Amino acid sequence: MSTETFYEVMRRQGISRRSFLKFCSLTAASLGLAPTMAPQIAHAMETKPRTPVIWLHGLECTCCSESFIRSAHPLAKDVVLSMLSLDYDDTLMAAAGHQAEEIIAEIRKKYKGNFILAVEGNPPLNEDGMFCIHGGRPFVEVLKETAADAKAIISWGACASWGCVQAAKPNPTRATPVHKVITDKPIIKVPGCPPIAEVMTAVVTYMLTFDRIPELDRQGRPKMFYGQRIHDKCYRRPHFDAGQFVEEWDDEAARKGYCLYKMGCKGPTTYNACSTVRWNGGVSFPIQSGHGCIGCSEEGFWDKGGFYERVTDIKQFGVESNADAVGGTVAGIAGAAVVAHAAVSALTKARDKNDQSKGGK
Amino acid sequence: MNVVEQKLEAVFRDIAETRMAGLPICNSALRVQAVGFREWQEHWVGVLVTPWTISLALMPGDKAPLKTLGPDEKMTWEFPSGKYEFMGLNEPALGTCQTCSLISPVIDIGRHEDAVDVARQVMDALFVTDETDAKRDADRKQMVEAARLKGEPVLDKPLSRRDFLRGSFLGT
Repeated sequence: MSTETFYEVMRRQGISRRSFLKFCSLTAASLGLAPTMAPQIAHAMETKPRTPVIWLHGLECTCCSESFIRSAHPLAKDVVLSMLSLDYDDTLMAAAGHQAEEIIAEIRKKYKGNFILAVEGNPPLNEDGMFCIHGGRPFVEVLKETAADAKAIISWGACASWGCVQAAKPNPTRATPVHKVITDKPIIKVPGCPPIAEVMTAVVTYMLTFDRIPELDRQGRPKMFYGQRIHDKCYRRPHFDAGQFVEEWDDEAARKGYCLYKMGCKGPTTYNACSTVRWNGGVSFPIQSGHGCIGCSEEGFWDKGGFYERVTDIKQFGVESNADAVGGTVAGIAGAAVVAHAAVSALTKARDKNDQSKGGK
Repeated sequence: MNVVEQKLEAVFRDIAETRMAGLPICNSALRVQAVGFREWQEHWVGVLVTPWTISLALMPGDKAPLKTLGPDEKMTWEFPSGKYEFMGLNEPALGTCQTCSLISPVIDIGRHEDAVDVARQVMDALFVTDETDAKRDADRKQMVEAARLKGEPVLDKPLSRRDFLRGSFLGT
């Protein structure tokens, strides 16, 4: 088992010091940290031994892994994966069968209380967990066993975070999100179907670099990426403000790129970073390619009506469930202080916090 | 009420009565109102309250044309309280206008007066140069985060057991 540092791994793979430092400052920027934090990331990577990660798969479709390995984050393809010391990931590793299963046991023993458990998918609980078998045993058993020795757990995607399609009504296998099965470990939810590659890389980098979990909201999601709704930063937002809507697919308004709210866009009720980070290396995101947001990072998004049905009950969609929701503060307004707070927090949210990371936009 | 406010209100009232009429994302307790518009850098800036959004709005002055922004184009303006990113709102009846969203949807606001109060406070806070509470909080958060990541104590100075029990760490 390797105990080299991230930096050593990078150098061994032929990454220059210059690219390494560039990677550090880009990571700092993507994490919403001040540029002065870059040297700290560099320092941690030069001195800290790699943290092993066990990546388990339950009921899922592997779209999280697909997203992750296609991260456009610089060096991600070669470095983040080796940096991660992904000792066990049944999609990516070379080992198979008993040999592979031994890896889990070995890491659990050697790094007890010191490895990160990344879970993609969730365990079904009906029929004693027989709907998902991992190495001849119910997945829920493997999950509980491995989690017992882990330092922290990352719940990748909608499956691990909320349940996703396999937990949609009537949920025949009783697919259950990870936090309802493991209750005694810190869990970081990174919802989305799949989550954005850059968000996944950033969360992992943060945890490995600083040996801490990022700041989470009330629902256990990293605030830096799930603090705003798609609607808040959507580039089609001015069309919404002016009541300019697409009324029918392929109408003139659709060609002009008007707001897709009437076509069922869930942007106003979805917390995710798609409208700012975007996808495929910042190239585009669903709304930009002409389709409404389906709200894939929200809890139970399969059971919230059709993807093309207009959002009717805003409250039901968890606008108030965000710890920082300004709307929630304004509700049941009591006095001048509350109004002032709402005003100041709305302004603070709108303020450009990290103009250095914005580049040419 | 000045000309800019009148124009904004007329256009958005029309939008509220036609295109936005009856949409569930609208809060029926709220009306269209332009709040606190004032001249700033030869342009007009203020808060636009509508049943579906509360936004900062920037309108051109008599002598200074405002840049018309295309789709996916943004413009950053620096106010005393900080930098804000505006997007282009292109409505033929209105002419050039740039907006920066503050709160949307506005379903949770109970009364129109509250929305207007929020808008007024926003205009006050926007022009506060010095350390506003929000900025101080943000700076402190940045400092605490830096300390946390370095593994240093988050507090400025060591805390005695007595002070801890009295909750003095909450006051900083």
